[in-house]
Amino acid sequence: MPIRTVTCLALAALTLGGCATAPPVAQAPAPQAVRAAYPVTALVGSWGVASYREDRDRPRTEAMARQHCRLPYVIAKGPSDGVMMHVADDAKLYELTLKGSADGKTYLGFDAPPGHPQDREIIQLTENLMVMRFVAPDVHARYGTFVYVRCPGGAPATAAAR
Amino acid sequence: MTPALRLRRLVLAAALIAAPAAAFGQAASPAAMRETMAIGDEPGRVSTEEVIITEGPFARQLVYFRSSERPGTLVIHTSERFLYLVLGNNRALRYGIGVGRDGFTWSGLVQISRKAEWPDWTPPPEMIQRQPYLPRFMAGGPGNPMGSRALYLGSTVYRIHGTNQPETIGHAVSSGCFRLANGDVIDLYSRVPVGTKVVIRHAAAL
Repeated sequence: MPIRTVTCLALAALTLGGCATAPPVAQAPAPQAVRAAYPVTALVGSWGVASYREDRDRPRTEAMARQHCRLPYVIAKGPSDGVMMHVADDAKLYELTLKGSADGKTYLGFDAPPGHPQDREIIQLTENLMVMRFVAPDVHARYGTFVYVRCPGGAPATAAAR
Repeated sequence: MTPALRLRRLVLAAALIAAPAAAFGQAASPAAMRETMAIGDEPGRVSTEEVIITEGPFARQLVYFRSSERPGTLVIHTSERFLYLVLGNNRALRYGIGVGRDGFTWSGLVQISRKAEWPDWTPPPEMIQRQPYLPRFMAGGPGNPMGSRALYLGSTVYRIHGTNQPETIGHAVSSGCFRLANGDVIDLYSRVPVGTKVVIRHAAAL
């Protein structure tokens, strides 16, 4: 008896699916969602945005982000419990929200488990500085790590980072 | 699934609003001067440092080249999509290049004023308007449209640079810059110093 047939029979004995059905693939459990470490309003405001790949470039990237407050990225509060922002490679605005995970990380993205491939991971968030990276490795490789520097007079500083 | 959950293929950016820059005493238009980098591209797309053109006419190769220019001079023929490094004895090293689209070509005589490895990139405002998710400044690296090296042309806004789109070599796609595959521009970068004379000819010359 071909090995494949034996395998199918064995699987059929364990599941209700037939040979045409792929056996269930073990998946790592999604990170447990917890309350985000920051209030979503901490993101609201006008920011200068720049990106870098090498850590040695971060100081000057921050400086360039500050310079680009003349062309700021404006984050507004969304209609629900989120903020209006873009995802990678899409010119439309979406309401994104902050999501905490049990491992202590904070993500920004759609209403999906934290660490979803379309999320950004918040690496640092203070009143005047945000650093985040895309979770998807290929997107991160293309765009690098984003630095957001709050523009003068462009922010409600009501929700400082914790 | 929201529309944004679809993985989107980046598309070539639409035309940038710019005019060909001028060199050698000819003033560039205000629109051109506003541009920090005049290319249409796929920012963020990664092309490895090693990419070179290995086949066809746009592969780097030694060619017969009659010229009165001194050895070491760069001669760019935009119509042919070739850049020549004059070697003397009627020989030149020829590289395939991408050039400016119609209306974005220019000619002139300049010098290499600066060289940079993995240069930074600042998308022009028009590109930010179309692709608002872009950073306003991208430090040099593999996903940077400027590619692995840049040779700055005098005081113009234009450069000879690498690209993260090696398939555009041989085409008229930019807004006035000259692009080489990353591996090829690294080779060129190693051969020419600051101060190198660069002759840009729009029409083919025999």
